[in-house]
Amino acid sequence: MIWAEVGKVAVGAVLMAISAGVTILLVAGMEATSKRVERKAVTLLQLWLSPEQAEQYSSHGHFEVVGSDTGTRYRIRHGRMMNIDQLDSAGNKVCEWCFAPKGNLAAGDCMLAQKIALERFESGALAIANHRPA
Amino acid sequence: MATQIVMDHTGDSRHQFDPADAAAVAEAEARFKRLAGAGFAAVKRLGEGKSEILRSFDPTAEETLFIPRLQGG
Repeated sequence: MIWAEVGKVAVGAVLMAISAGVTILLVAGMEATSKRVERKAVTLLQLWLSPEQAEQYSSHGHFEVVGSDTGTRYRIRHGRMMNIDQLDSAGNKVCEWCFAPKGNLAAGDCMLAQKIALERFESGALAIANHRPA
Repeated sequence: MATQIVMDHTGDSRHQFDPADAAAVAEAEARFKRLAGAGFAAVKRLGEGKSEILRSFDPTAEETLFIPRLQGG
């Protein structure tokens, strides 16, 4: 009788260990995939940056763009949300803007879409964006 | 070879085609129309960080990027 109980406990422990192991492998796999996707998106971003922007991004993790309609300078920081700073002529932050492509995209893709939008159709992009003062 | 790059959850998906191959060009144009119809912005890379928004399919574009519709964050 007691051996039957011991057996149940042992089987339960083994199943829990297997479950934990599978969970760890799944999480590790998801993290690896996420990093691979992020690297791929940043590689694409770097191909589309100007040499100056690429240097800024490499050195500081952000780069500047000039708005197509107003000539306003913006700083796009690495990230997906609330990562666009509008700058004044002295380079001070005036406010933050937030817009991004639909879908669960990597930061590199979001930053590239933000760059192109501000450089090619600034007014349209800001019309749908949210913003908050600095 | 020309390349169409579509931003997605994997980073991007790429479709290459030979501009001299009429059937491949037709397939690329159909993809362009399908994506544009779904709200993607099509952008041609000009080099040196410059780009151009495409309103219609450009078979001479070496690299066209498709960006999903933008939304406020």
